[in-house]
Amino acid sequence: MSLSPTPLTPEIVSHEGNAMVLSMGPQHPSTHGVLQIMLEIEGESVIKAEPEIGYLHTGIEKNMENLFWSHGQTNAERMDYLAPSSNALCYVLAVEQLLGITGEIPERAKHIRVLNAELTRIASHCVWLGTHAIDLGAISVFFYCFDLRENILDLQEAAGGARMHPNYLRVGGVNGDLPAGYLERVDALISKFPGRMKELRGLLQANPIFQDRTIDVGILSADEATQWGVTGPALRGSGVAYDVRKAFPYSGYEQYTFDVPTRTEGDAYARFLVRLDEMEESIKIVAQAREKLRTAGPYAIDDPKIFAPPKETIALSMEALIHHFKIVSESFRVPPGDVYQSVEGPRGELGYYIVSNGENRPYRVRTRPASLYNLQALKGIAPGNLIADLVVMIGSLDPVFGEVDR
Amino acid sequence: MPSTQTPPIAGTAIDPPGVRPAIDDAAIEVVTPQTLHARCEALRAGGYAMLLDLGAVDYLGREPRFEVVYHLLKMPNLRVRLRCGVKDGEHVPTVSDIWKNADWAEREVFDLFGIVFDGHPDLRRIQMPHDWEGHPLRKDYPLRGPARERSPRPAFGLKSNVQAGTPPTGRTLEALQEQVKKAREQ
Amino acid sequence: MEIGPGQFLLARLDDVARWAQSSSVWPLTMGLACCAIEMMTVTSAEYDIARLGSEVFRSSPRQADLMIVSGRVAQKMAPVVKRLYDQMADPKWVISMGACASSGGVFDNYAVVQGVDTIIPVDVYVPGCPPTPDGLLYAVNLIQQQIREGGRGGILARS
Repeated sequence: MSLSPTPLTPEIVSHEGNAMVLSMGPQHPSTHGVLQIMLEIEGESVIKAEPEIGYLHTGIEKNMENLFWSHGQTNAERMDYLAPSSNALCYVLAVEQLLGITGEIPERAKHIRVLNAELTRIASHCVWLGTHAIDLGAISVFFYCFDLRENILDLQEAAGGARMHPNYLRVGGVNGDLPAGYLERVDALISKFPGRMKELRGLLQANPIFQDRTIDVGILSADEATQWGVTGPALRGSGVAYDVRKAFPYSGYEQYTFDVPTRTEGDAYARFLVRLDEMEESIKIVAQAREKLRTAGPYAIDDPKIFAPPKETIALSMEALIHHFKIVSESFRVPPGDVYQSVEGPRGELGYYIVSNGENRPYRVRTRPASLYNLQALKGIAPGNLIADLVVMIGSLDPVFGEVDR
Repeated sequence: MPSTQTPPIAGTAIDPPGVRPAIDDAAIEVVTPQTLHARCEALRAGGYAMLLDLGAVDYLGREPRFEVVYHLLKMPNLRVRLRCGVKDGEHVPTVSDIWKNADWAEREVFDLFGIVFDGHPDLRRIQMPHDWEGHPLRKDYPLRGPARERSPRPAFGLKSNVQAGTPPTGRTLEALQEQVKKAREQ
Repeated sequence: MEIGPGQFLLARLDDVARWAQSSSVWPLTMGLACCAIEMMTVTSAEYDIARLGSEVFRSSPRQADLMIVSGRVAQKMAPVVKRLYDQMADPKWVISMGACASSGGVFDNYAVVQGVDTIIPVDVYVPGCPPTPDGLLYAVNLIQQQIREGGRGGILARS
């Protein structure tokens, strides 16, 4: 283990004049995680900002090469840890494409997956708003947002067993039908949501201090955003209406009616408004999914070689016992090939490029990390602004370092 | 050196992208490091304005060993995948002059695989500490790192030692038979 | 008994100091990964760590008493964690929150330090991936108990 920090080589530090080099991070209250930004500043204004990442590199991609196919989503969930079900959805969809069972996933499983994906999007935006606002000093917003998030974590705990990494989405479906009372709790959330959104908007949207801090800060033009590979709300805040749910629909999204909010200003305030509008669109999708879930149905495919039969059948059926044993002890094989599957995560396009060589574990899982490319855009928009604006910009780009560093 | 990262066993595909099932996720093209830059410029001029991702795969046991994979997007919904086979030690031209976001992606490929990108403005490690030795995502790099490889602590969570005992069937078997057929034809 | 003017309250200095320290344990903002989100949740209204005395999370290690290592410690971050621990003023305590900080968690590989106790001394380990906020509150309770019983890091630090 090296005890010396990254040396300030000429590529990082190439300043002239009166510039001072300041390391912002990796431990900092406002960097939203372990980010180090090597700043060259003159007074308060930033001349150059070079983010240094890798402080949360976990080797997840190599780790996943050593786990069964049926266990991969546990590690995938821990990448973008604010929206775990979104990562898990992308992984299981990719594996199902390689297995060739995408068309056999039952409707109810698809709707449950959409429900979970949208709930996790709302939960992620709650954390985004709470931390973005608390960086700017609006501490009450943090409490409002995290209280709203508690409802969704309760739902995830009910379905999957854990608040944050529920491991509920599996290859072939979901891990069991929704528990009793779950849909009633979703109804309760849907009915209290408009009131909560009104409160959140009322706290910040017309607040002159918030507007002063975010309007015309961190402007990203549509061309620049595309050049930097920015996706998600940051791209839509700059006017490009690209949403993977509309462009490459997955898991039954084509059956849902929802808008893709877009703004043209490209500043932090535009991204803020886009995300708030997205939360409202998400709850609409949640309501539609809830309606579709009134009809009962299977929650996973009927292939015992891929999805283990229900636990209750082990004592009754020899075949069920054997299939259980096989899946738990050596999982299933996936035909060789490669696939790129992407979903619209709360941060943008999350993609997995998965390569299988015919074994019972992945050969390579390459992540298309939305936050990495969003964060890289900071290099382009930071120069010329104040250090205080840098905090606003990081908040509005919304990086999650589990995804950036993996 | 014994490794906790076991190489692919017999009965597995050496060149998975060559035997992939018919999944319609992108238009796939195979390029070489010599033709890569020109093809990327042509695609960029043809409207593929966003480089979605740039990653690498280590196909140990195949020639060329590495493959750098580029995912491109043309709004609203056209994707192209460029597969660039790279031999061990061969350099690849950078595309950071075509798409700015290739910067960090190529640094990560260099850090984790050791593939050098010619013309990159700032090619240094990005995920691992600056003085780390080795390229972790290569297949001959042990999962637990060289320092802990011979540790007696058992790896309960690792499944690389659990071979799939059931013989391949169905689509997996067809794909492997197709690979054998291709190898015999060459 | 009536408490009137001119009366004395006698106590041992250790007891008073430990009571004061345990009632105002201020953590350092050391959020690394997913556990950091649950650490943020423990400050929110439903769990409210402020009622246990942790009114604010200090960003400067000089001003913090408690380092909650919340999340996986990557190889690049390990020297930073050590430096921050060294910069904290005595008395200081460490909670290793979550499976990754306690032992490497689900990540038994080259990139994650297998337990932050290989770098810094830990007082309380919290299991879970991530632990629920209740678990972290219990850990802070245990730290308070350790302080009151005079464990490592009391006002008169004993080796």
